[in-house]
Amino acid sequence: MGEENQGAKYSRRSFLKGIGGGAIGTAAISTGFLRGESAEAYVSESAGATRGKTAVALKVNGKNYRVEVEHRQTLAEVLRDELGLTGTKIGCDRGECGACTVIIDGRNMYSCSQLAVWMQGKSILTVEGLAKGDKLDPLQEAFIEHDGPQCGFCTSGQIMSGKALLLKNPKPTEAQARRALSGNLCRCGNYNREVAAVLAAAKAS
Amino acid sequence: MAQEQKEFSIVGKRTPRIDAYERVTGRAQYTGDIEVPGMLYARVLRSGVPHAKIVGIDTSKAEKLPGVKAIIHHGNAQVPWSSGGLTHRRYIFNNPVRYVGDPIAAVAATDRYIAEDALKLIEVKYEKIPHVLDPNEALKPDAPKIAPNGNLSVGKGPFSAPIEESWGDVERGFKEADKIFEDTYISKHVNNAQLERRVSLAKWDAGKLTVYASTQGVSNARTDIAKDFNLPLSKVRVVCKYMGGGFGNKNQAQDYDYMAAMLAKVTGQPVKLEFTREDDFIGMHGRWASEQHYKIGVKSDGTITAVTLDAVTNMGAYRKQSGNLSGTDFYNIPNFKKVIKPVHTNTVVAANYRAPAYPQSVFGFASFLDQIAYELGVNPLDMFLRNHAQKSKGKLAYTSNYLEQCILEGSKRIGWSEKWHKPGTTAGSVKHGIGMALGGYPFRPGLGAATIRVNSDGTAHVLVGVTDIGTGAKSTMAIIASEALGIPLNQIQLTNGDTDVTPYSVGESGSRTTAFTGPAVAAAAEDVRRQIFNLAAGQLKAKAEDLDLRDGQVFVKSNPTEKHALAQVVARSGELIGRATTNPSFPKDMDGKCFSAHFAEVEVDMVTGHVRITRYVAAHDSGTILNRLTAESQVKGGVVQGIGMAFSEELIIDKVTAIPINPNYRDAKVPTHLETPEVEVIFVEHYDPYGVFGGKVVGEPPITAAVATIANAIFNATGRRIKELPITPDKILRAIPV
Repeated sequence: MGEENQGAKYSRRSFLKGIGGGAIGTAAISTGFLRGESAEAYVSESAGATRGKTAVALKVNGKNYRVEVEHRQTLAEVLRDELGLTGTKIGCDRGECGACTVIIDGRNMYSCSQLAVWMQGKSILTVEGLAKGDKLDPLQEAFIEHDGPQCGFCTSGQIMSGKALLLKNPKPTEAQARRALSGNLCRCGNYNREVAAVLAAAKAS
Repeated sequence: MAQEQKEFSIVGKRTPRIDAYERVTGRAQYTGDIEVPGMLYARVLRSGVPHAKIVGIDTSKAEKLPGVKAIIHHGNAQVPWSSGGLTHRRYIFNNPVRYVGDPIAAVAATDRYIAEDALKLIEVKYEKIPHVLDPNEALKPDAPKIAPNGNLSVGKGPFSAPIEESWGDVERGFKEADKIFEDTYISKHVNNAQLERRVSLAKWDAGKLTVYASTQGVSNARTDIAKDFNLPLSKVRVVCKYMGGGFGNKNQAQDYDYMAAMLAKVTGQPVKLEFTREDDFIGMHGRWASEQHYKIGVKSDGTITAVTLDAVTNMGAYRKQSGNLSGTDFYNIPNFKKVIKPVHTNTVVAANYRAPAYPQSVFGFASFLDQIAYELGVNPLDMFLRNHAQKSKGKLAYTSNYLEQCILEGSKRIGWSEKWHKPGTTAGSVKHGIGMALGGYPFRPGLGAATIRVNSDGTAHVLVGVTDIGTGAKSTMAIIASEALGIPLNQIQLTNGDTDVTPYSVGESGSRTTAFTGPAVAAAAEDVRRQIFNLAAGQLKAKAEDLDLRDGQVFVKSNPTEKHALAQVVARSGELIGRATTNPSFPKDMDGKCFSAHFAEVEVDMVTGHVRITRYVAAHDSGTILNRLTAESQVKGGVVQGIGMAFSEELIIDKVTAIPINPNYRDAKVPTHLETPEVEVIFVEHYDPYGVFGGKVVGEPPITAAVATIANAIFNATGRRIKELPITPDKILRAIPV
């Protein structure tokens, strides 16, 4: 795996860890273990990638960061685990629910479905970057006023999709707002409120 | 009990959540956001077979993976999980395993990837046992036995089986009927599918266990953990400040909390156990599926004379909750008998999901009443008005009942009399339909506790055990405190969800927070007000009982200009503490209920089978509304969950392998922004004499009538009755003539 990572900085520990994990994973597959009796054990799907690290320079909420990331780490994980920006939530970790939505170079995207190594040179906006000092973004104000969050777990994602819409289209119709937020699930079913908040923010600004 | 008040200072207004700022800025810290030094990550290995004895678990390869710190399974961690199986003993790891998804082992490692990798290295040897997936098959004498005492899930008390309830004389009732109808309605297993995956962070410090849980009830979670780990309550702390939804499947403590605690014990390090989304869909529970057979006797004008309900409910491999069906609650049924058999099968566990016994059985019963109205030539509105509940269980008076007003106001708002037409009679390939149904949920009082500290500057600090699962319970408690104290909301701080700090709370389930903890908050406020008035009596030269406190001012009731600011009154008090543990009850001959009448208009495309909801009106009787903003959101959200259940949601189990094939959002098809109409909410407000400030409850009821309402609107559009959920386009196309 070393050749994939030329130019990247390794710590000795992470390099060895990478070799170890990869080797054992390969051994398990080549012996056919996963197709044997215990193949019937139910294992979630994300395991088993290689463990090299690459340095990535990216901008998050206007600040420049340089982080060493594992190739299998997603942007969502790096934001949460490495940068401490836990406002971005992971609901499904498989590109379905939208709780992890952030704005990457102006577009709302699922950060669970973006590998962190792809973020070289990208500019990322998360929910933590919306307020200017103590002053909330008008969309956040509207979410408070219109009761946008119930449990609140999808709220950051709803807000970021709403924000991406308003950046492109400051005066959306209700249908456009619904369409723009349609990749963001809210199991509390608070869809009316979230759309109302986006429309109110559009009106206010 | 608070006095009846017509004028409130904050109750009934549209009040944004007290923690809305944290929720819109990403600052609200949910369980998964918490990190502690030295923390390990854990993952769960689950059974891939539906029924088998585990004859060997070889963890040696997994243990050799660098970073793996501990692996627990039934052989080395036999911890009972009391609330996980109430009819027979259940452990956090069971042998035999009884469904695809039953936990086999949990791994703690230095990061979550290593933990996941390790799962694949655990070798499990199974000795397969025959399995059964269908509840009717499971009841046959030669079916594989899942529970020690058979597949009819027999327990004690509320978990006895079959669940039987009756009043009047059904034989006489059927004799009095002009017509008798019989039919069967079917509902499917639907997952709660809350956005926050299950997560638990456990750590031990000098024999004390702290669990940062994602729970709907910190007090119950602590009680469960203490019992099953054999610890005194004082040695267990459960914390949950923000919770990303549960809708009934994060009540109390669950197996993942126990696994995290065991792994933390074994490793001596804090352990965070995270579910994947698939874990969440199969590893906990969803709503019980049901097969409901009704026999209904009616007079020719539609008046119900008798109802029998014989049903089976599929509880999956373990029975955590009742398996009851209660959709008949909202009708006046003079003679009634139901027999419900909760059945074990080798499938994912079924238990509480918002209003657990209601939406599936409201679907069955209200669909059937709508059908009977059609066959009798009665307008459904008249059918529901004629038969709506007036007494509970045929005899008990309700503390308040505005169901009739809900029906009348809702039908007026949607324009029922102008819009209703004979089923299937609109022209064209896109057909209009309108439908309605009745719903609600029990309102009952119970044990609650609260502490209120009034600081020496006149601000107040409310301590309650509630975890705000999204209902706005923290805000509701603060509103009750503000109203009862006479201190403005912005001068009240609220601390919740930490058993080391906050008093007992029943837990946010069963629409109980406002009814149980609300009165305790009001009583704690009364307690501290007495202390304030005693202090102020000398200062204002008046008797304590002649004083009042509003807007932060203590004044003489008969002469409000004689006043002192609260801050001045309590300046030298250090701190005043009001507290209350309350346990109100209804008189024996009374029962409580919230009611609703829902109305929907739909358009059904007869070519594609696609249904669009064009209008939705939800009229609710919840007594006084304490916070109009969050209460409306509850109603809107419950309706959306009902839309999913009506149109698309069903956990599908492969008949050959017994593997759930759609344990994820995309394939479970939960509703999105695009399917959701504007839900118009009507509150038929009144003062319930047994509610805090006249309020009943709001959280559970909104989902109850939604499924049947939509089903009845589809019938009105198509003239075809779909008797099995979900009502998918293919079922509609199969039902309509070519």
